[in-house]
Amino acid sequence: MTVPGTLLPPRGRWRRRPRVPGPSWRVKLRRDRSLLLMTVPALALVVAFNYLPMFGTVTAFQYYDYITGFLASPWAGLDNFSTLFADPTFWRAFENTLVLSLVQLVLYFPVPIALALLLNSVLSTKVRATIQAITYLPHFFGWVVVVTLFQEMLGGAGVLNHTLRQQGLSPWNIMANPDTFKYLVTAQAVWKEAGWGIIVFLAAIAAIDPSLYESAAVDGASRWGRMWHITLPGMRGVIVLLLVLRLGNALSIGFEQFLIQRYAVGSSSAEVLDTYAYYYGVVGNNYGLGAAAGLFKGVVSLVLILGANKLAHLFGEDGLYRSER
Amino acid sequence: MGSDSAALDRRSFLRATLLGAGAAAVGTPLLASCSSSSTANGKANSTAGLKATLPDYVPLTAGPKPDLPIVTGAAGASVDPGYLSYPTDLVATVAKVPGSGGTYTAITPLWGPIPAAGNPYYQAVNKALGASLTMKPASGNDYAQTVPTLVAGGKLPEWLQIPTWWNGNLNVGELVTSKFADLTPYLAGAKIRAYPNLAAIPTGGWQAGAWNDRLYGIPSFTSGSNFAAILYYRKDLFEAKGIDPASVKDADSLLALGKELTSASSNVWAFDVVWLMIQQMFGVPPTGNAVTLTDGKAASAFDAPQLEAALEYAYKVAKSGYVHPDALANNTSQGKQRFYSGHVLVTADGPGAWNGPDAIEGRTANAPYVRGAFPVFAHDGGTPTIPLGNSAALMSYLNKSLSDAQIKECLALADYLAAPFGSKEYTLVNYGVEGTDWTRGATGPTYTTQGTKEANQQTYQFLVSGQNAVTNPGYDDVTKAKYAWTADAAKHAYQPAFWNLNVNTPARFASTSTATQVNDIIKEVTYGTKTVAEFKAAAANWKSSGGQALIDWYQKSVVDTAASGTGK
Amino acid sequence: MTADVRAAGAPAPARPDPARGTRRSRRREQRPAWEEPPTVVGETAKGISLTVVVLLVLFPLYTVLVTSLSTQGAVNRAGGLVVVPDGLTLQAYRYMFSGGTVTRSIVVGLGVTLVGTVISLAVSVLCAYGLSRKGSFGHRTLLLTLLVTMFFNGGIIPTFVVVASLFHGYGQYWALILPSAVSVFNILIMRAFYLGTAADLIDAARLDGAGDWRILWSVVLPTSRAVTAVMGLFYGVGYWNNWFNVLLFMPADNEKWPVQYVLYQYVSQGASIPGVGTNMTGAAVAATQVSKLSLQMAMLVVTLIPVLVVYPFVQRHFVKGMLTGAIKG
Repeated sequence: MTVPGTLLPPRGRWRRRPRVPGPSWRVKLRRDRSLLLMTVPALALVVAFNYLPMFGTVTAFQYYDYITGFLASPWAGLDNFSTLFADPTFWRAFENTLVLSLVQLVLYFPVPIALALLLNSVLSTKVRATIQAITYLPHFFGWVVVVTLFQEMLGGAGVLNHTLRQQGLSPWNIMANPDTFKYLVTAQAVWKEAGWGIIVFLAAIAAIDPSLYESAAVDGASRWGRMWHITLPGMRGVIVLLLVLRLGNALSIGFEQFLIQRYAVGSSSAEVLDTYAYYYGVVGNNYGLGAAAGLFKGVVSLVLILGANKLAHLFGEDGLYRSER
Repeated sequence: MGSDSAALDRRSFLRATLLGAGAAAVGTPLLASCSSSSTANGKANSTAGLKATLPDYVPLTAGPKPDLPIVTGAAGASVDPGYLSYPTDLVATVAKVPGSGGTYTAITPLWGPIPAAGNPYYQAVNKALGASLTMKPASGNDYAQTVPTLVAGGKLPEWLQIPTWWNGNLNVGELVTSKFADLTPYLAGAKIRAYPNLAAIPTGGWQAGAWNDRLYGIPSFTSGSNFAAILYYRKDLFEAKGIDPASVKDADSLLALGKELTSASSNVWAFDVVWLMIQQMFGVPPTGNAVTLTDGKAASAFDAPQLEAALEYAYKVAKSGYVHPDALANNTSQGKQRFYSGHVLVTADGPGAWNGPDAIEGRTANAPYVRGAFPVFAHDGGTPTIPLGNSAALMSYLNKSLSDAQIKECLALADYLAAPFGSKEYTLVNYGVEGTDWTRGATGPTYTTQGTKEANQQTYQFLVSGQNAVTNPGYDDVTKAKYAWTADAAKHAYQPAFWNLNVNTPARFASTSTATQVNDIIKEVTYGTKTVAEFKAAAANWKSSGGQALIDWYQKSVVDTAASGTGK
Repeated sequence: MTADVRAAGAPAPARPDPARGTRRSRRREQRPAWEEPPTVVGETAKGISLTVVVLLVLFPLYTVLVTSLSTQGAVNRAGGLVVVPDGLTLQAYRYMFSGGTVTRSIVVGLGVTLVGTVISLAVSVLCAYGLSRKGSFGHRTLLLTLLVTMFFNGGIIPTFVVVASLFHGYGQYWALILPSAVSVFNILIMRAFYLGTAADLIDAARLDGAGDWRILWSVVLPTSRAVTAVMGLFYGVGYWNNWFNVLLFMPADNEKWPVQYVLYQYVSQGASIPGVGTNMTGAAVAATQVSKLSLQMAMLVVTLIPVLVVYPFVQRHFVKGMLTGAIKG
């Protein structure tokens, strides 16, 4: 169905184009010089403030001492990495990170989409805007406040358990239970971020040509049919893009959120890569080790996002980018 | 979802609010400081070396006499003087204007709202100082991140304060000896007499700022009774229930008390997390730098039998159900509120929690609120002991780049700022200008609105201040109660291993001596999320992966040469 | 969410007229003619789920508000957050705004946010469009270059050294803006929109011989208002909330602090400092007669207000059909 006005070209469209030898690089350079010029400011900033400081990754190979500095700190070679990989706590943290990312992917990712669809069907703009504005407010709460609020409501001495005790029932251990911790943190993430996540999807839905709905309705599609055949495909490009980006960020999941709750459930459940790097790197007076963990995380994340991108191609989506000739 | 527009974000960063100020250091922060040095061989202070460099102690004769005088206890502990009223005649302890027009910038940590720059209070103090000392307080919670960036970027100010509980994390020994001025030529022995107020600071304060047998640090709030923890209880509620605190004489009776006090259905729990107190009860040697003295020889602090016994007990307490769930969830920021509301009846906190403002806050919740403290007791009911903390936890240092004349000027300024309680200088620094910042009320100086904003915060006081004085205007009962408790506790004080001793450990031991993994597991055991067996495994692991080498180094370089307490 | 979702375009105007913009569509909140009438079951289910969602958020918000308005006594009696009001006062807000520090920091914060958002948007739109032609010269390399920065950063100290020592940014306002001006995440999203929605328009314009600058100005920007608005919101919020750069580059220049950092100080107020027996700590707290928790909550409320104010302006751009007027079937 070649439908103009949707977010990305539907699958198959590009595949049908015959492969002809493209223009030479000189021609391309000439043709695209304005485009290249446009990318210069962003690139300049990125080079200055992201790439230049990357010399700091050298600390992963040093026994870094901030007082003697980068140039004079003794060289450690791969020592930091061997310490890292020999540490069972590190692998535990890695495992926790992956499991948590998976759980959040399944349980959190669909929620903003569903909410966006739900809100979209509300007739009154005022009601819609009000609900939107309310649901995205928790995004601005710091994690300290969010966890405090959860503790206030669901904690051992919280409102829920207080009521249970008064009714003579035994209290529920929600906040301090290591087994259900992953669901707890997902619930916290949903509460905090789902409203904010709606925004991008609403913008995507807004981009869909309303005449499509009209034609579909005229053709006999029901509400659900229209949602399935028009709205969701219209959002598909953005959904896949965000999914790919999210997979790339999977290893960076949480930090403050887990730091705050670390002692409530124990580090076996609450340790993730970022908290590990913090505790054993910064607090543990071993910057080199922390940097090694960060480097490892970066490399794996890059592999993950490129892999996810390839996966998206398999499903016919462009994902993050698709190389053209 | 959402953007991450900051290239750096909080994950690569220390957020200490939730950890509590200063708790970024591992282990008990008070007891013994240790640091790393890039020099291949480290060094500790030695008896002979210190003897040559420590300044003389010349107590002041001028100034108001304390209502509750200094009392010496055991092992060099002493009770801070208490004042029940503020003198009306303000004595001047500094004869002439100390400064000579120099310009200096000072950075100190502050746990509270930062006063506006260049405000009238600062101006007034600078005028009295005769120099331009620009105070730039920085957020206390993030201070441990601020300092390394200042160092790495070459932006160290002329005068920098670094709390000693970060000595290990920030390699303060190496930092100080390489970037800050050696003050020995100006202050050693009799030379300090040129600065009478500085000479009136007890020697322990100077010792706590000495590295490699040389004087570097200028101390604030020096005290002879810096105990790590006091076990507090709601005196008013105990009296209402008819409970006598003297009935708690050992670990078992404490637990029994917990059972008696806890009533979850009425939202009352007996305890907050009281690990600090449990350590004291069992006489656990400090684990701050991982090495302690056992029978006079260097040994792993984690092998101490007292530690294991204490952890067993702490685990039992955590699992008993007598500890408030929010406390078990490490919600330390509302610990005081839990105490004020009566949801927690017994808590362990530092001596700083027992003061007039605490009484004010507590009484806003319940008018009869009174904070009481259990007398010191041992876990088995035997002779009670309480370890002494280092004499000063706040140290400031002068930049190495300052010239001889500038250092002398700064020391003169420090002399002014270290004026004793009740003197003219002290009043200006702590309360501001009479009329604009404070007015004399019934109980002494009372801040005006302007004074609350400008003069109320600890700015100059964190650079240098004199002997700690206990005063709570309007709440003399608190002053008296605290004085009495401290006087009693001081009788049972002892100096733990490496007390007041700064050890410059070599860089190769930097992370071994911090022993994050073991200390973290210790903390988790006290919250009930790890078992004692896991702790023991971690301790053994630590020893075999570098710990033993550290212990050997200590034996050779510290124990055999140093001047310190003999531990227990 | 198992609500009965109407995928139809509400509130599309009865007479679609994108040229007229939003006002018409807001007034005419009618169902389009071809849409089915709502069912009772559907409406109820929708209503219930929306109410649940809103309550889940509103109740904690209410707690925050009440705590910010509670007296010190009330907070201390509750032992933490206040659910049932027990003594109300405006003292927390009064304390925050007296003395002018907070007011001044709001101005600074607004300034940094506005300037930063404009710079970030300009840079991002340019870069996103510059990368929106598949197969353009260096396309993949440039994309990867940007992508890598999402996963690797040098760390706090190297960034500080670069900004402060190399570029002399210590204590400068631009250090609060430029280092975090580029969000690769945002650029990628914008690029996706340009590649998708406007692809046909752009191709058509190119065939007509228009240069890329002209296409950007007269074709892409007008039709991607929704995306630009969203990105502007993201960037704006990012700048408004960011206090991390303040900590790094001006930790002690308190007259230059934006509001988030100033408010953050109140959170740490009155912390009890380990190992210090001084009784001066806490004097400030008692003097204010405001609980630290109330201040924290008041700070949160003050933070929320600008966001609530700005959002309607952004939301205006989420009207359907804005992107389609020019595309003829």
